[in-house]
Order: sequence, then structure tokens, then C-alpha cells
Amino acid sequence: MKTFENIDAKSVKEAVALLQKFHQQKKSASVVGGGSEYLQLMKDHVVEPDYVINLKTIPGLDYIKEERGGVRIGALAKLADIEEHPVIREKLVILSDAAGVAASPQIRNAGTIAGNICQRPFCWYFRSSSFNCLRKGGQVCYTVTGDGRFHAILGGGPSYIVHPSDTAPALVALGAQIKTAGPAGEKTLPLEKFFVLPSVDYKRENILNPGEIVSEIYVPIPKPGSKGFYHKVRERLAWDHAIVAIATMVESAGGVVRDARVVMGGVAPIPWRGK
Amino acid sequence: MAQAPKEFSVVGKRITRIDAYERVTGQAHYTGDIQLPGMLYARVLRSTVPHAKIISIDVSKAEKLPGVRAIIHHGNAQIPWSSGGHTHQRFIFNNPVRYVGDPVAAVAATDRHIAEDALKLIEVKFEKLPHVLDANEALKPDAAKITPNGNLSVGKGSFSAPIEESWGDVEKGFKEADRVFEDTYITKHVNNAQLERRVSIAKWDAGKLTVYASTQGVSNARADIAKDFNLPLSRVRVVCKYMGGGFGNKNQAQDYDYMAAMLAKVAAQPVKLEFTREDDYIGMHGRWSSEQHYKIGVKKDGTITAVSLDAVTNMGAYRKQSGNLSGTDFYQIPNFRKHIKPVHTNTVVAANYRAPAYPQSVFGFASFLDQIAHEMEVNPVDMFMRNRIQKYKSRTPFTSNHLDECITEGSKRIGWSEKWHKPGALGGAKKHGIGMALGGYPFRPGLGAATIRVNPDGTAHVLVGVTDIGTGAKTTMAIIAAEALGIPLSQIQLTNGDTDVTPYSVGESGSRTTPFTGPAVIAAAEDVRRQIFNLAAAQLKVKPEELDLRDGEVFVRATPAQKLPLARVVARAGELIGRATTNPSFKDVEGKSFAAHFAEVEVDAWTGHVTITRYVAVHDSGTIINRLPAESQIKGGVTQGIGMAFSEELIIDRLTATPINPNYRDAKVPTHLESPEIEVVFIEHYDSFGPFGGKVVGEPPITPAVATIANAIFNATGKRFKELPITPDKIVRAVRV
Repeated sequence: MKTFENIDAKSVKEAVALLQKFHQQKKSASVVGGGSEYLQLMKDHVVEPDYVINLKTIPGLDYIKEERGGVRIGALAKLADIEEHPVIREKLVILSDAAGVAASPQIRNAGTIAGNICQRPFCWYFRSSSFNCLRKGGQVCYTVTGDGRFHAILGGGPSYIVHPSDTAPALVALGAQIKTAGPAGEKTLPLEKFFVLPSVDYKRENILNPGEIVSEIYVPIPKPGSKGFYHKVRERLAWDHAIVAIATMVESAGGVVRDARVVMGGVAPIPWRGK
Repeated sequence: MAQAPKEFSVVGKRITRIDAYERVTGQAHYTGDIQLPGMLYARVLRSTVPHAKIISIDVSKAEKLPGVRAIIHHGNAQIPWSSGGHTHQRFIFNNPVRYVGDPVAAVAATDRHIAEDALKLIEVKFEKLPHVLDANEALKPDAAKITPNGNLSVGKGSFSAPIEESWGDVEKGFKEADRVFEDTYITKHVNNAQLERRVSIAKWDAGKLTVYASTQGVSNARADIAKDFNLPLSRVRVVCKYMGGGFGNKNQAQDYDYMAAMLAKVAAQPVKLEFTREDDYIGMHGRWSSEQHYKIGVKKDGTITAVSLDAVTNMGAYRKQSGNLSGTDFYQIPNFRKHIKPVHTNTVVAANYRAPAYPQSVFGFASFLDQIAHEMEVNPVDMFMRNRIQKYKSRTPFTSNHLDECITEGSKRIGWSEKWHKPGALGGAKKHGIGMALGGYPFRPGLGAATIRVNPDGTAHVLVGVTDIGTGAKTTMAIIAAEALGIPLSQIQLTNGDTDVTPYSVGESGSRTTPFTGPAVIAAAEDVRRQIFNLAAAQLKVKPEELDLRDGEVFVRATPAQKLPLARVVARAGELIGRATTNPSFKDVEGKSFAAHFAEVEVDAWTGHVTITRYVAVHDSGTIINRLPAESQIKGGVTQGIGMAFSEELIIDRLTATPINPNYRDAKVPTHLESPEIEVVFIEHYDSFGPFGGKVVGEPPITPAVATIANAIFNATGKRFKELPITPDKIVRAVRV
């Protein structure tokens, strides 16, 4: 592992400022929440930062609050807390279900919602230091000539990764919004628009630019009579990514379906909205 | 060998391991916990190409990195690794390199991060050679040649190729059959995936080499090191007190032990060489993959008349072990022929993994028998019972054989007669099925040694060379000592795993510790008991042969009120030492542990997911010396079988010949959730050829597990899976709803 310096951020503003500073100095820097994902990336040599900015030292970023017809979830809210929160279990049950099947109990106790949404692909070529693949700056997406059994069947090309998150498809099905903080201030956008297809840019999975971080997820509470469902199919019953996952939300009134969202995980480079 | 007593004092109970507390509280010092003054850290640089000549290695930049203390490679460290390859000379660094992962260099530095950084600064120039990845391709005449003799792995003795064995007359046997069947079964390379990644610490003191090794056998590791470093045994010490598993890939000394030793010599400081999990998957070895073609002749009632096996086993770049397939061992086959070609390919090496020649070939043979039972309309239970082995190679009797009881008991407990149905007969999206298979493992005696020191206070110190790779061997030996001596287990202290201190043990491999070292412990106990009785006879004024020792008290058998506490007897002498080296052999008799496993599954036809709803493992292993670890052994072996059946496989990218899933996450090692509550049943009959009537427990449990699950899946779906692993996509494709 390359030597790096850890800085404990005291506020989101400070974290953003640090990221921007290091970017301008042409040093590599990343923020770290729970760290379970980031540590793996470092050990696999996918990232080799000069600076790691710890977000856990920023107080009050892990809130889960119901207000104004929705639930605001701080970027550092842990997956285990999201899974068990009474409001989420009652009103946003597919999010609770999705958080509850992510990774393993140990990782859910440390992993954050922002980290889960921003997690990098688990493509075995991407994660192997033996392959300098297309996404890492090389020439070739190795799934094309190699083993792509767990890779994209929709929306792929020229890279065929699948987005590995469980919470992302559930949140898209719920119509969630994501708030980011950056040098230019705060920005809110539908979560659906956060993710980037490889045909647009195969070196990134989301729209975050250097200096920007996720600060909050906002999930509107579904209208009464709504029903949802999250199901994950995987080889191993724990600590395994989805072969395919489905998040659905159906809003109906008087026996008529008003709105329906079907979002697939594990099959495309972004949470895939069925249309 | 002791006669069967009416009741044991210590043997046969459920006893917590004597070192359990240290292990679970983190107090146990595993090899990785050992810190020595001035210790350096080492990392290994591996080939990134599958087959190439090394033209040059430039370490100049790496040497200049502050903190680097030694760099070795084939240019300056030509150390042979005799046990690493038996058909052509293997070195710790080879030129040409023969697989992606073949070690090229090793660096020792003041910390592990510097060692890793230094690897990146080593410049290696390769001249690529043609390579071959597939075993069948490797046998073609124009295939890339991996060894001077070609790719059919040629050696001596148990490494001769092809592996051939036969008895009877198979052609005659096929003519006698009512039907003859032929089919092919395929299994994959699976890593041992032991929890403790390997690590080795080497230290030189005035020409004597000490290696703190994560090893299954301190004695054979010492022998290997002494041989390849050209040192007398007296100048080599190997230590392993606590060990986190190996399942066969930590037996003897390995190349990284040698690298640590060489680096320590060059740097003149102790060196700790650590493997990452990726190093472990690629740099060590896993179970050999196989393609097994069977021809089986049967009578109308399913009785086998002849079996012919033609197979290819992929040994990877070096021939470290046999490449044999022995799944037919559990059946009575009057006419038999097998012809196996162990083959070299430019891939990760294959060698011993728990019951090396069995789970893959039991999968092949027991699946095929189950298939034949279906086609002959014979119930699988009858098929297996009718054909179970009764005499070794049709002629030699066994020391004990209760395979029939295993089958009867298991089929009763799983509810076979109530639950069995025609394969695939039940409709619906969730399909129920049950299946079974037979297994076991050879049980034979060999060389063992033990020393027992009885202290003046009546406590005893047992010294044995065992390492305890998770089998509970330390506790087993302590129990055997307590039983044989006649003193409580709490009065026993066990010292293990240090060639300077403990006598010879074959090491934990081949399920040999209990049959090899157990008798030595008993004989050492008998030796010191003789000395105790000679002393006590004078004190009690009787003849030594009139005395007995039980629960720490020496007493006259005829008049038990005449007794002395052991301490009173020994205090007079100061300390008594019993010692023994034993090397029994079986004459005109063969030993085996046997097993019959049964599984009930539910197959989801939409997702291809299989849930094992019940699993019953019935074992004939003679007397069970300690029930608690014995049950754990069975459960562990079954769980490994579950992984091998459903998900585990080392996948190699065909373009780059590089393994793409060398870790737990992607090689899909099973979790607790994959395994049901496994019911373990021991059919216990005292086998007079084993210590206190015990046979072997370590390897039998993995042998039938894969086949049991595969046969249950067949019963559920009516579809036969002939290639491992049986992943959800294969099931979905076969069972279109």
C-alpha cells in the first residue's frame, strides 16, 4: 500500500475545500466514510491516494429524519441503522430490505449509504492489479475477450461493469433525490440522474467531479396505497453481489395503477429503469 | 494395542480443546503474531506471463529504496525445492517461469509496505514462450512443452504417469453385464481456502536455521529444509505451536519458507514472509481438476460387473502430488481398470487438498452410479448398498467395515423410504429431492514417537511433534495420554510442534496423526507406567504386575484399598520419563474409515438456487476419541463439499492466463448461510487396529459431500449435472419451467 496522509475533516465545507486544494495541486485525494469499500480499493491498488479525508469526524452527518413528506438521510448514515430504523421499515420498506441484504452484517455496521451508492464496480478485472483495464485507464475491457458472466446485459459498452449497489435501485424506485456538496455549492438532483453510463464516460460511475461529495439522500414518502418489493438473487446468501436484483414501487388508488417503477440491479452499469 | 476396556475414563467424551481459550481470546500466538528483534518483512514478486524465459532481472532501483535489505531471485538464489515438483527439478525461483504466479524474486525490507513498493521497482525482461492452459490441449503432440519430457507428467513411483491399476478382467466383466454405460464427469480446480494465510519467519543463529512456519508437519518441514539447504538435521529447527488451517497445502516446507530463510541469511536479520490471500490462491495450490470417463457394466439388479476409468487430471505447472482419482474405492468391483493421465499446463499448481483423490472422483463415480440406478429403475439406496465395498481390491479384508450400518442408519434418519420419489417427478417451481453417496478414507499405521514426563507432583508433560491444523490433534493426544496413563486430563500439559523439543510426528496430513502418533503416546505411557509400578511395588510390597494406575492413584488390583497417590511414588525418583517410537504395520488386512451421506434439497427452478434443507452424515470411524472436534470435522468437510458443489472454482482468464478470482469474495467460498444444520452420526465399533479402537476422522467427511448434493439435485429436478460447480445458471438452463 502506498504511503498516504489521513486528515480528519471537521465539516463538509472543510472536506470539500481540501479535496479542491489537493486536486489543484495535482495530488490524489479521496473522502472515506465507513472505509470498508475504500480499504479494499487501496489493497487492490485500484486507488493510491496521497491524502485520505476522513468524514467520520464530521459530527451529525448520519441522521435519519422524517420531515415534510419525506425522509432525509445523511450521507454517513450506516446501512445497519437504515435497515432497522422504524420510519424506514414502516414507510420505505424496500430501502430497509435493500440495506439489509447488502454485503454482510459486519460491513453493514460500518458501511454508509453514500459509500454504498458510490461504490466502485466489483468486476474482477477492475479489482485485480494484474489487469490495467479500460476503466482504469488501459486499452481493453477484459470482459469482452474474457469472463463476463456477472457483467452487464443491458446498457453496457465499451465497459460492461454492473452497478453493485443494493440501495441504489431501491432508492431510484422510490424516486429519491441526492444532494451533493462541492466548490460551487450544493446541488440536488434526482438519484436516477446521478449515475453515468459507460457510453457517456467509461472512466466514472457517477457525476461527482473532483471536489464534490454526497451530503444527503432525500426520499419522498410514497403515497398511501403504494406497495413495493426488493428481491436480490445471488449465488451466496451473504457477502455477494446481485446476479440480478429487482426494486419495484407501485402506486395505486381505487384498483387503478397510477405509477409504477421497476428498477433492476446487477444487470447494467447503472440502476436500470424498466420502461 | 490396548484391549477394549469396558468403559473409557476420558476417551469418547465431548471435550473442549485444551487450547480453545487461548485461541478464542486472541492469546494464542500464531506464526503471524511472532515478533523478533530486528525482524524484516518480505514479499514475493510473481510472473505475469504464463510461460517465458527470464532474460534479465534488474533489481538496482529496488535495492536503492530506503529500507530494503535483501533481494533474491533465480540469478543469486538457486535453491532447489524438492517437494515442490517430482517430475522435473523445481526451484524456489524458476527459469523459465511456467505459470502466472510463478515466483520471480523476493524482497526483505524494514516494513511490509516498503517490501511491496520494492517489488514494483524490480524490472524483469521476459521472452515469451507458447503456453497451454487446457489439459486436453496439453496432451496434443504440437502443444507447448512445459517440461523437457513434454506435458504428460512423468516421474517415479507414485508420480509415474499414467497412473494405472487393474485387477480381474474388465472385458470379461463387460460381457457378463446386462447393460454397459459410458459417460464423462468434469470437476474444477478449487483452492483449499484455509483461514490462515501462510506466513514464515526464518532466523539464523551461528549456522543454525530456525523457521517459525505455518506448517502441517514440523518434522517433514525440517527434513525438506535440511535436504534442500544441505544442512544436517541438527542445525535446522522448525516450530509451529498454533496454526490456522491448511487442508493439505501446508504440509512439508514450501518455497516461501525457503525464501524467508535465504533472505534472512543475506540480510543477517530475521525475516517474516507473509502471503496475501491472492498469493495463497495463486502461489500455493488447490485440488486438481479432472475429466473422468467411466465405463460401467451392471447386472439387472444394479450389481457392478466391471468398471473402467480413463481420466485426465490437470496438475498445473509442476507435479507436486499424485493426480490420482480414487472414488471407486468404496465399491465392490470384481473387474477394474483405471488409466489416469496427470498433465502439465501453464496454470496454478494442483496438489493436496483434504482427501486429494476423492471428492472429485466420488462426484464422478457416485453420480454415475446414481444415474445408472435411475436407468435400471433401482432405488439408489439399494444400488449403493448392493455395490458397497466389502473387501479391499476384492481380496483383502478390512480391519472393520460398517458401511452397511452407515447406509441403513442414514437412510432411516433422512426418511428415505417416505421421501424418495422418481427423479423430477414432483412439479412446481420449488422442487424437492433427496440423494446419497458413499465415502471414507484409508486408515493405516506408521511411524510415530512420543515422550511423557511424569513430574514429582503426579502431573505429566506430553511431548509430541503434532501441529494441530484445526483437527484438535493436541487435545486428542492429551486425551490418549490421559487414558493410557490413568491420570486425569487436567493433570496433563501438552507441548507440541518444535523439532528441538518434541519427537517425530508425520504431521497432520493424510488423516495420519491419530493412527501414527496415537500408538506412540500409548506406548510411551505404558513405558512410564512400568517404571511407576516398579517403584510403587517396593513401596506397597507387592509385585509390579499386580498394580494399576487410575485417576492419578496407584492401587493393587485385587485389593484397591491398598493405594498410593501417584505423586508419592514419583517424588522418590524425582521425574520419570516414558518414551516410545512405534511403527506398526498391517499385515493381510486393510484399514478404512467409511461414510454414507444423505441430503434433502429444495431447488428453485426460477432462480437456480438450491437450499439444502437437511443433511445427515453417518460415519464409521471406530471409537471416536473426542466427540466435539470430531463432529466439527464432519461439519467442516461437508461445508467444503457444499462450496465445491455449488460455487467454488478458480477461473483463469484465457487471454492473459491470469486467475481472475483468487480470493474468498470471487472464488465464492461458502458462508454459514449455505450450510444447513448438519446431523452427524457416528457408528462406533471398536477397531482393534487403532489407538483405543479409533480409525480416522479428518478426511472422510469431505469425500461424499459433493456427490450427495449432486444426487439430491438430480432427484429433485430429473436433470443430471456432470460438470462442477453446479451454479444457478446451469440449473436454470436445464430445468426450464
